[in-house]
Amino acid sequence: MVKKILILFFGVFLILLSAKENIYQRNCVKCHKNQAVSLDKLFYRYLLKYSSEKRVKQALVSYLKTPSYFKTVMPKGYINRYGIKLPTRLSDKELKKAIDIYWNKYKVFGKLRVK
Amino acid sequence: MRALKNSDTKLLRSEKKTFIAFLLLYAFFSVVILTFIAFLYYNFQKDLMLQKKREFLQNYSKTFIPKLKKLHRNFSKTHIYPTDKDIRTAIYDSDRVKIFSLLKVKPDLNKVLYRKNREIHFIKEPEEYYLGAKYIVFEIDDDGVWLKDFYKKIIFYGLPLFVLVIAVGYFLMRLFLKPMRDTLLLLDRFIKDTTHELNTPVSAILANIETIDRQNLSEKNIKKINRINIAAKTISNIYQDLTYLILNHKLQKEDEDVNISNLLKDRCEYFKEIAKSKKINFIFDIKNNIQIRIDKNRAVKLIDNLISNAIKYNKINGKIKITLKENFLSVKDSGIGIKNEKLDKIFDRYKRFNEISGGFGIGLNIVWMIAKEYNLNIEVDSKEGEYTEVRVSW
Repeated sequence: MVKKILILFFGVFLILLSAKENIYQRNCVKCHKNQAVSLDKLFYRYLLKYSSEKRVKQALVSYLKTPSYFKTVMPKGYINRYGIKLPTRLSDKELKKAIDIYWNKYKVFGKLRVK
Repeated sequence: MRALKNSDTKLLRSEKKTFIAFLLLYAFFSVVILTFIAFLYYNFQKDLMLQKKREFLQNYSKTFIPKLKKLHRNFSKTHIYPTDKDIRTAIYDSDRVKIFSLLKVKPDLNKVLYRKNREIHFIKEPEEYYLGAKYIVFEIDDDGVWLKDFYKKIIFYGLPLFVLVIAVGYFLMRLFLKPMRDTLLLLDRFIKDTTHELNTPVSAILANIETIDRQNLSEKNIKKINRINIAAKTISNIYQDLTYLILNHKLQKEDEDVNISNLLKDRCEYFKEIAKSKKINFIFDIKNNIQIRIDKNRAVKLIDNLISNAIKYNKINGKIKITLKENFLSVKDSGIGIKNEKLDKIFDRYKRFNEISGGFGIGLNIVWMIAKEYNLNIEVDSKEGEYTEVRVSW
């Protein structure tokens, strides 16, 4: 009986986890994996420009909701070639979730070490 | 009166007090000023040292930032943070959140270059935020050489300078006090000479009266001699009182076990003629061999003033009762008395309650001063028109 309950909980946990990643994977990775600039390179561009977690996330939300030539972190040549993306159709809550997953995946915090 | 201390070569007590107060104040302000100068010099030395370190750290930052840039570009491949054995670094984001740190001391991101807890921090803002780093903090140990050098200079220059400043203060003080000191010494010498000149003839009169053979004199002449004796003794008492008041601080004091019983009898004998002139009778209740530790001259002054007051303010044909017991001496006259409301002012200097009897109003003040000096208690009881009793207990 206890074994069954544990399996059930673990199953629910996995479902929730996959649902979370799905937002990011479904809405971000799906398109970006075929693009010239990978998501990690894009992340480090944002980091290079906005520095902190708060500012990076704010910039991402702002760009994804209302993409514009002035908000992009990509170089002029890239935009001229590939253009500006369409605004996201995700709700604010979903967008926040997706960005949080994105941040946690590529953030620098806790990853640096000395030789 | 015994010889005075050699006051010409020593500072007067009041002068010494002023001198010490001035020197302390002068030393205090000198220390404050010198500390302020030392503080400025300390900051100057610290800034000098920091500027040297800035150059060094600035140069190091030129090699560190490219390493950070390289790491930023290759972050998906490596997470190894660039290090140096002598220089520790840390990176903070634009919200001042620590990204990574190898520092010993928490930095203050509002400053650029400073020393904190024996560590020197140099904060550099790179042109781009590699790994999100808006602030790069460089930290090195302060070897303290400059501080040791500073302390050495403070000891080698500061201390002699302080001594010099104090010495200058000392000489300035002596220079300023010189006119006052000269005046005081002149006045002092004048009082000493004057009192001495007064004492010599009075003593000569008293000594000669003692040696007069009264048996060969007529009744009339004996009376005259007695009057001269009384007058001379009165002058002598005034002289003694004035000398005590003026030169009290310089009179020698030699405490000894004084037989008050014998001394009291001697002094009553001394005042016998004066009392006789007012037909005053002494009533004695003196316990023998009572001793107290006191300077004999001061004991004489105390007793003389009590007795002379009792005579001065007594009535013709009055009485003076002198009582001496184990722990008190009482002199009670049958005189004019003092109003109760005036009793608390009886020991004030120059306070006289009777204009007819004359005097300077210093007698009981002297009694009070001596009593205070030896922690004796004085009580005065009086009834106007009937009596005054002064009781000194120990």
